[in-house]
Amino acid sequence: MLPDLTASGVSVALDGRTIVDHASLRVGSGELVALLGANGAGKTTLLRGVLGLLPRAGGSVLMGDCDPARLSSSERARRIAYLPQIRPLAWPIRVRDLVALGRFAHGAALGPRSPLDDAVEHALTVCDLARFATRAATTLSGGELARVHVARAIAAEAPFLMADEPTAALDPLHQHQVMGLLRASADAGHGVLVVTHDIGLAAQFADRLAWMAAGRIVADGTPEATLTADRVTQVYGVRAAVRRIDGDWSVTVTGAA
Amino acid sequence: MTGRGLLWGLAAASAAAVVAACLIGSIPLGLGRVAAALAGGGSPGDQIVVWEIRLPRALAAFAVGAALGASGAAMQGLLRNPLAEPGVLGVSASASLGATFVIYYGLVEVGGFLMPVAAITGALAATAFLTIAAVRVGSMVTLILVGIGLSSFAGAMMSLLMNFAPNPFSLADMLSWTLGTVANRSFADLALAAPFGIAGLALLALSRRSLSALTLGEEAAAGVGVDLPRVRRLVVVGAGLATGAAVSVAGAIGFVGIVAPHLVRPLVDHDPARTLAPSALLAGLILVLADIGVRIAPTSAELRLGVVAAIIGAPVFVWIAARRSMGVA
Repeated sequence: MLPDLTASGVSVALDGRTIVDHASLRVGSGELVALLGANGAGKTTLLRGVLGLLPRAGGSVLMGDCDPARLSSSERARRIAYLPQIRPLAWPIRVRDLVALGRFAHGAALGPRSPLDDAVEHALTVCDLARFATRAATTLSGGELARVHVARAIAAEAPFLMADEPTAALDPLHQHQVMGLLRASADAGHGVLVVTHDIGLAAQFADRLAWMAAGRIVADGTPEATLTADRVTQVYGVRAAVRRIDGDWSVTVTGAA
Repeated sequence: MTGRGLLWGLAAASAAAVVAACLIGSIPLGLGRVAAALAGGGSPGDQIVVWEIRLPRALAAFAVGAALGASGAAMQGLLRNPLAEPGVLGVSASASLGATFVIYYGLVEVGGFLMPVAAITGALAATAFLTIAAVRVGSMVTLILVGIGLSSFAGAMMSLLMNFAPNPFSLADMLSWTLGTVANRSFADLALAAPFGIAGLALLALSRRSLSALTLGEEAAAGVGVDLPRVRRLVVVGAGLATGAAVSVAGAIGFVGIVAPHLVRPLVDHDPARTLAPSALLAGLILVLADIGVRIAPTSAELRLGVVAAIIGAPVFVWIAARRSMGVA
């Protein structure tokens, strides 16, 4: 059993402004946790603070008995695969090379002469990308490219995976594919934390929802326990209708609160 | 083509070009006479032409090209922009300013090593400034503009020194740095710059894997385990040393650091790591060939290598920039 990733009372300030305010969060192995919140609530900053990419103003993070911020960048990458919001690629590298970058902390080198890496081939297969392996990644559609980035996180084979809006700008099918891959990763024993704006999607795939507003975690629990119309109003400032139909969640926003 | 085949091909072509550079000139030498001279035989005249004039000149052109090609490829990888290059970003101009400074104050008399040291100091100051600017401005287009500003400033400072040149000889010397040439270079000149250039190339080689990961963007690169401050330091110091050493040998030669990586990239699947070594070889090859062209061009005044490189390179720069803005590259 792998240790939990536990953030306790984490605060992060940027330019003297508190962005994350005493946020606490726990991700266990085999667990998919969705971090929900409006734009500017501090979700991305919380991830960076947890990873140690930004200095924390307070609080502690423990992964077993170590703080990711105290690890070297490659040691940290071997324990937490981090997918930030997707940025354009600088160069049209091949899909297999892009996925192999997920193995950077394991010493991966790119190219046809680098030894065949089982983790890379496995990730390509799992994400249904084998037929794209030699394509230039820049020629893929947004949905395919999102899968490639998930594949590189899976190839890292790290105990934890953090993904920041991996489903942004994807159509419903590709959103489900990406969340399905993250769910499968959690089912395989990894601890997964995913930031998303799609409440229904989060409720369908996640074990727990962590709700963030103004830098604080205002609620954390199963969809059944935390997904209510009032919560959506509190966190997003909108009126919403929340229904459950045959086990599936439906969240309809009806206007500004 | 595999990466290794590409490297061997370029190395063989470069060696052939250097031999060709020894054959061609005002006194054409046959392959037999050059081979004899290279082997230590042949007439004393042939020995002088090959060992003291043509071979050092050809090797200087190759070494300068290799340093600029590797620096260009590494800076493009770090800054994630195919237009980043020592010449465009003002690194070569800053190094030339350092060299001009040494000429202006007649410091070459103090010690020949001052020339590479001054050029490298100028280059390091420029690469460090650019990297700090890159972290702050975020936008690569803005960074190119900062580099062009830096280049203009270094150019203006050189003009100032030339304006107050103490005598026509130092003015001519300074002008030759701004034009760029490998004429009349000796093995002694090469030996002074070589340790710096080799150290610079070694540092750039250490950055190669991190440059691949930077394809993803800085945050994602940090996410997969890249130590960003370390890779920045390697490229800043490596490109500064290599470019400074190149400028101390030949003056400012622009654009070869853009053209060579641009040609290499499609052959290595656009991987920044695998772009480094072939770019160095190809840039060296290009300058050896260009210098042969300079020497056999039937011009009354001596044609300068830097001028030819800019005439070829500047349109390529414009072409790459225009393609990028259309979203092709």
